[in-house]
Amino acid sequence: MNLLAVSINHKTAPVKLRETLYLSENEVRELIEKVKREYFTQGLLISTCNRTEIYGIPDSKAITHLHLQRLITESKNSVNTTAENFQTFISRDSLNHLFSVITGIDSMLIGDNQIFKQVKDSIHIADEMHFTGFLMRHVFDSAIRVGKRAISETKISEGAVTVSYAAVQLIEKIFSNLGKKSALVIGTGETGEIAAKHLADKGIAKLTVTNRTTKKAKLLANKLNCSLLLFEEFKDHLHKYDIIFCATSSEDILIRKQDIETAMKKRGYAPMVLMDIAVPRDIDPESKEIDYVFYHDIDSLNIIVEQNVAKRRDEIPKVKKIIEEELDSFFEWYNSLQSAPTIKNLRDHFDAIRAEEVEKNINKFSADDREKLEIVTKRIINKILHAPTVELKKVNDSGTGAEDAATKIGIIRSLFGIDKAKSDIKE
Amino acid sequence: MIPVIHFLNVILPILYLGTFSVYFYDFMRGEKKFVNVKRLFIFITLFTHLIYLLIRTNEFDHPPITNVFEIFTVLAFSITFSYFLLELITDIRGTGPFIIIISLVFQLISSLFIADQFEVKEVLKNNLLGVHVVNALLGYSGFTISAVYGFLYLTLYNDLKHNRFGLIFNRLPNLEVLEKLSFYSAIIGFILLTVAIIIGVIWLPKAFPKFSFLDPKLIGTGIVWMLYGLGIFTKFFSRWRGKKLILLSITGFLIAIFSTILSNFLASSFHSFY
Repeated sequence: MNLLAVSINHKTAPVKLRETLYLSENEVRELIEKVKREYFTQGLLISTCNRTEIYGIPDSKAITHLHLQRLITESKNSVNTTAENFQTFISRDSLNHLFSVITGIDSMLIGDNQIFKQVKDSIHIADEMHFTGFLMRHVFDSAIRVGKRAISETKISEGAVTVSYAAVQLIEKIFSNLGKKSALVIGTGETGEIAAKHLADKGIAKLTVTNRTTKKAKLLANKLNCSLLLFEEFKDHLHKYDIIFCATSSEDILIRKQDIETAMKKRGYAPMVLMDIAVPRDIDPESKEIDYVFYHDIDSLNIIVEQNVAKRRDEIPKVKKIIEEELDSFFEWYNSLQSAPTIKNLRDHFDAIRAEEVEKNINKFSADDREKLEIVTKRIINKILHAPTVELKKVNDSGTGAEDAATKIGIIRSLFGIDKAKSDIKE
Repeated sequence: MIPVIHFLNVILPILYLGTFSVYFYDFMRGEKKFVNVKRLFIFITLFTHLIYLLIRTNEFDHPPITNVFEIFTVLAFSITFSYFLLELITDIRGTGPFIIIISLVFQLISSLFIADQFEVKEVLKNNLLGVHVVNALLGYSGFTISAVYGFLYLTLYNDLKHNRFGLIFNRLPNLEVLEKLSFYSAIIGFILLTVAIIIGVIWLPKAFPKFSFLDPKLIGTGIVWMLYGLGIFTKFFSRWRGKKLILLSITGFLIAIFSTILSNFLASSFHSFY
């Protein structure tokens, strides 16, 4: 199968280049229109912050990977790329790459939970733009099946692999229902904002943010629809919160052990989680000595992240096995899209129907007529199949291209339900 | 039926060992595919155990509550049965091996030493005694489960405090859930033990006119009852929580075990029937 693929991703290009080549949904749609006009009528275009990729079955043999590389590069003005910035694939390797992408084993964050949805969205756009042919439809179905199998049959996407998400995972090991808990996020930089978003997504009952620059805190509070606390006053309110998230750029300790002790006394020693993901640290580490205080800093969260990354890495062979199985299954189907096996399958299929009907009705005929019945029914089948057989032989001889022939044969197989009949027999 | 009883007596510890092994393996591996296997093992074990208890009751003409080894086998059954119900209701599955191992120990001791007992003391042929013992055993099952969850709470608490993120961290439910499970099991145990004590107090003077309130079993049970009562009272009316209550529950469980050993094997007690 002449499936070409070109990828520029985190393994081949620095973040700056990947960012530049990132295509918004509208840009993807515009590029698909261009590709359809110039290169191929069925394919797939994926663009995320870590990769931009084009897959497609070319309309002519003159179209090569170089055309696709140029297409990506020219999609954005003034981008300098080299051949080393691209990975190129063909046929089985292209499909293998797509399957690796959708399962997350090719992601920077192994088992990335978002990539499956991103690829599905790209397929959806391809469908909408009529960029999907008979063969690519089967490629998409196989890719989605591989992605689903990887999620359900392996642990490739389990466990937190970012510090802020690991913090949330840890909090959930202490409290059973975040819908009844309150959290204070101190510091509204990028890390603090991500942490606040994670807590909001988990349905925290009360979320408050504070920052040395009140304006920034207000912006985040408005964005997340949560409450705001003045930085100068937050220490007086520590006891009201079950979770305190610190992510400021302060050079000094912001919260001392004494502050936590006072807060714990006020809250009757109800458990309190302190997540200090600032470097240097914002909370006195000695606070962990206080009963029912669970203090964790960036190092302890990194332990969880590393463990989960290692576990996901251990799952890669299982995912690769699934990919191999689906590749074999895909190419078994693809190879069946040849004239000779299709003619044979078609004849077997019709003959099976004939034999079944003859067997059902054989008792209605005398012993002398039974042999004639066999001959007559076989002759009918031969006559019915004569024209399709001739046409099938012509498909390969016409020189319209292997993909075109495969498409036509695939339609015939689908029309007569040959593959369905074969799978019923297997079951 | 005696050969069947003997056969089941040998089979039961093996079944508990098998169930424990499946639960333990699942705890170590955390594979989703073991969920149904675990359920099947625990169901077969409980069903076989129930058959054993029924056959035994029918064959020896008394429920198996007349000596410590009979009580141990009932205790093994009631602990695993209570856990099974808890697992079905809460869908918390990671704690099974820690509870089933206790049933395994009780059943193993019972299977090794239990005897065919056709004759029982006249004093034990009483309906009130049956209700008393059933309540006491279910109550102690509640305390056992409470202590196990308490132990798991303390282990996870320490792991979280010291940044240990191993199997305990990955497999157990969160601290709040463990605390709740321990507390609710203790409440159920306390209510049932209270009923057992009330029935015991009614029945005791009739059965043993010369009994003494200084009997080691009565003192032990009294201490256990007071400890759990204190724990429940302080949880509701005071600010006791977490570690303090859990330690109280574990202490109560250890005293209950010590009191049973003392009254049945070491000291002279009216409560020793073996």
